[in-house]
Amino acid sequence: MSTKATTTNPEDALTDARKLRKRALGFALDWAIVYYFLHASMYLYLVFWGSQTIRGWNWYKNDPYTAFFNPLRLPSWGWWLILFGTLGVVVLIRTFGRSLGQRAFGLSLQARSGSVNLVKRCIRILVWPMGVILAPIQLAIPALRHGVFTHGLLHDRISGTSIRHYVHPSGTPYKRFWKTQWGIVAVALLSLTLFLGWIIIDADLGILIGRVDEARNVFLEIVHPDFTHFTTPDPIFYQRAYPQMFSIVNLMLLTVLMALAATILGAAFAFPLSFLGARNLMCQSRIGWWIYSVTRGFFNLFRSIETLIWVIVFAVWIGYGNPFAGVMALVIHTIAALGKLYSEQVEGIDSGPMEAILACGGSKLQVIRYAVIPQIIPSFLAFTLYRWDINVRMATIIALVGGGGIGDLLFHYRRTGDWAQVGAVVIAMVVVVWTLDYISGRVREKIA
Amino acid sequence: MMHSPTDDNYKPPSVITRKGLSETLELIRHRISIGLAPVLLDLGFIGTLWVLITYGFAWIAWKEIHYFLVPDWLFVLGVIEATAIWESFGRSLGQRIVGKRLIAKGLSRPTVSQRIVYYLLFHISVLPIVGLSLARPLHERLSGLTLTPILRGSEKPAPWYRTTSGVFIAVSVAALLITTFAVTIEGGTWERFLKNPSKAGRIFGALLNPTFQFWKDAVFKLFETIYMAIMATLIGVLVAAPLSFFAARNLTRTPVAKLFYMLIRGVLSFFRSIEPIVWAIVFLVWVGPARNPFAGFLALLIHSIADLTKLYAERIESIETGPVEAITATGGNWLSVLRYAVVPQIINPYISFTLYRWDINIRMSTIVGLVGGGGIGQLLLMLLQAQRFSDAAICVYLIALLVWGIDTLSSKLRQYYEHGRPIQKAPAEESA
Repeated sequence: MSTKATTTNPEDALTDARKLRKRALGFALDWAIVYYFLHASMYLYLVFWGSQTIRGWNWYKNDPYTAFFNPLRLPSWGWWLILFGTLGVVVLIRTFGRSLGQRAFGLSLQARSGSVNLVKRCIRILVWPMGVILAPIQLAIPALRHGVFTHGLLHDRISGTSIRHYVHPSGTPYKRFWKTQWGIVAVALLSLTLFLGWIIIDADLGILIGRVDEARNVFLEIVHPDFTHFTTPDPIFYQRAYPQMFSIVNLMLLTVLMALAATILGAAFAFPLSFLGARNLMCQSRIGWWIYSVTRGFFNLFRSIETLIWVIVFAVWIGYGNPFAGVMALVIHTIAALGKLYSEQVEGIDSGPMEAILACGGSKLQVIRYAVIPQIIPSFLAFTLYRWDINVRMATIIALVGGGGIGDLLFHYRRTGDWAQVGAVVIAMVVVVWTLDYISGRVREKIA
Repeated sequence: MMHSPTDDNYKPPSVITRKGLSETLELIRHRISIGLAPVLLDLGFIGTLWVLITYGFAWIAWKEIHYFLVPDWLFVLGVIEATAIWESFGRSLGQRIVGKRLIAKGLSRPTVSQRIVYYLLFHISVLPIVGLSLARPLHERLSGLTLTPILRGSEKPAPWYRTTSGVFIAVSVAALLITTFAVTIEGGTWERFLKNPSKAGRIFGALLNPTFQFWKDAVFKLFETIYMAIMATLIGVLVAAPLSFFAARNLTRTPVAKLFYMLIRGVLSFFRSIEPIVWAIVFLVWVGPARNPFAGFLALLIHSIADLTKLYAERIESIETGPVEAITATGGNWLSVLRYAVVPQIINPYISFTLYRWDINIRMSTIVGLVGGGGIGQLLLMLLQAQRFSDAAICVYLIALLVWGIDTLSSKLRQYYEHGRPIQKAPAEESA
């Protein structure tokens, strides 16, 4: 602890909490990578060589959970072994060479004076456990905290090295990435993920080729669509609670109108909410900050829940296959998605007009009416059009869980295996989606 | 630069030479597209409004579906006549959008007789489209009226209710709102909506009291979902990145390359407009029902390839041409142009687009699961269909967590790749 720091360059040293956080995040990333390698290779080992074949069945194929959750089938103490083993590996790779975690956060191991030699590296590894144990204590005591930020942790001080912001020395050529540690690890990570993914998703090109004949029949039916119910209503709607009978074209129009209704309602709710979710308008007071956080939290939460899940809720509520159930589900998602886009737009406005109106003694509402709204109208319109586009796409499939719309016929024909009619529905969907995409793209280009 | 017939030194190009012929054809095409634009817009607007009104009316009044309420020929005739009248006797919405109005010689207001001549000759001049290819179409020539571009702000705008366009838009919006909500909210729907929140409350109650019976399946399937998305993105990039060079207009100059360009763009835009969920249905038939994640992956893959190629190619089309010209001038071939002029400009946007696509794929892979495309979506649907809402809650939470996490991560990384630095917190949030 008595080691004196020789550098005083504030940019160079570990000067503040943010840099320490970067270092910790880089460490966490490295640890995650090492554990991923370990777990993945154990999983692959079990799947390929360690599996027990009982009566011709691969045991792990039937019970993939054991292979997935506990590939080593470790007793409880084994997890401690893994914990410390991976930690050791992480410390090693972070001390020798530039690890992927360091590369990702723009850090590298540097000496305070001279170069990083083997002795310094070894000292660093040996003192590392003590340094990490002491770190929370140092950070907790205010008198010691500043010392951590200026001189680093214990192992930094004793070994005379530190993990700092990496600046490439000018004039030296860049190393090829496959000659650096992080480059090799990145390539290995990528290939391992591809290989593992290939096994997890059960991919098999042989089956794709072998079953081409089965697929061909279906494809041939789809590309020779049957237009019998394109304009004449399909009698299946006799069995439903619908008051009307729909043909494909009728139902497609209904789908577009559903998306329109959802977009109009969603935009009407999202518009006022977007001002509550804009940081530059709300974060001037404590209450405003709370409202901002709640609004943004609402946007994020409801955006993360898929439309189809909302459809399930509303289908139970309003009625299975009822178009309004689909509309309500789309509205919820539209409010959240548009609200976020709108409020980001409000945050990006020029503050000049706002200040001008405030300086003239304008109220909060007047600021919004005369300084904010004129700046955001074009992009709001563009976003709304874009959302309508998305809603039409979504409205074509929400019938899967009872949301009504064209998907109703699509999934019905699919259930009955009437692929020629599926082809007709798909054509109607493609034409409408493509046309709306084109029109909304052109209009957005004009107004944005 | 297009020759305008009003230019002083305007000379019609000779049609004898090949260049003159192509110029003449281009001129005719230009005149027709200029003359036809407001007409087509008005036809579209009036036709749409008529369909909206009759559709809504028939639905509300008789619970039936009617688009025109009149014979088809009468609908077509009525729309054409309404357009002709609107364009001759007022300032139509289409004319407003292209920024023109009818003006008589000497910038005076058109008289009624001039307008009548314009209206009558509209039929023989505009409806057979070739009539518009004249330097001054017949109806303009004989009536003495010209569609002239007007300067924005040159006149005081009338309030919306005093202009036909304003009234038209107001009527359209009203018809749109009434029809839309009448169609989607059928009889009895509204009562059910107000009466039955308890039914939805049951689901919400179950979601708030989750049971963790299926957590192992849920986590396992969650990883399946994640890997479906990752694989679709990675392999999608491998295919889309090379493909995008052939789908960029500024890199495909030779006739063969242009053919390639049109082929790739056409096929991919067709693929893109089919939802991944529909692709999943098709691929489920192909790979058989036992390999659900593979079908879901293929559906995501094909959509990713189509989408990424378009995004990438659009980025290539907007690169700076300076480096490309420099390398071409020093004698570099196509490959070195790509390597040293194009790739350095596009690498960061490519990474950004890929992250964006990864984000979308994660969302999509949960949806694709719902049709049987594997992953956590499939488990969720199975539990929901069995009405086991409490057991399904864990799936809902995991999906929401995953989507939220990936969304945050990818937007942070994208910000880094677009602006070259990580997000800096605004001072307002730090002080709060």
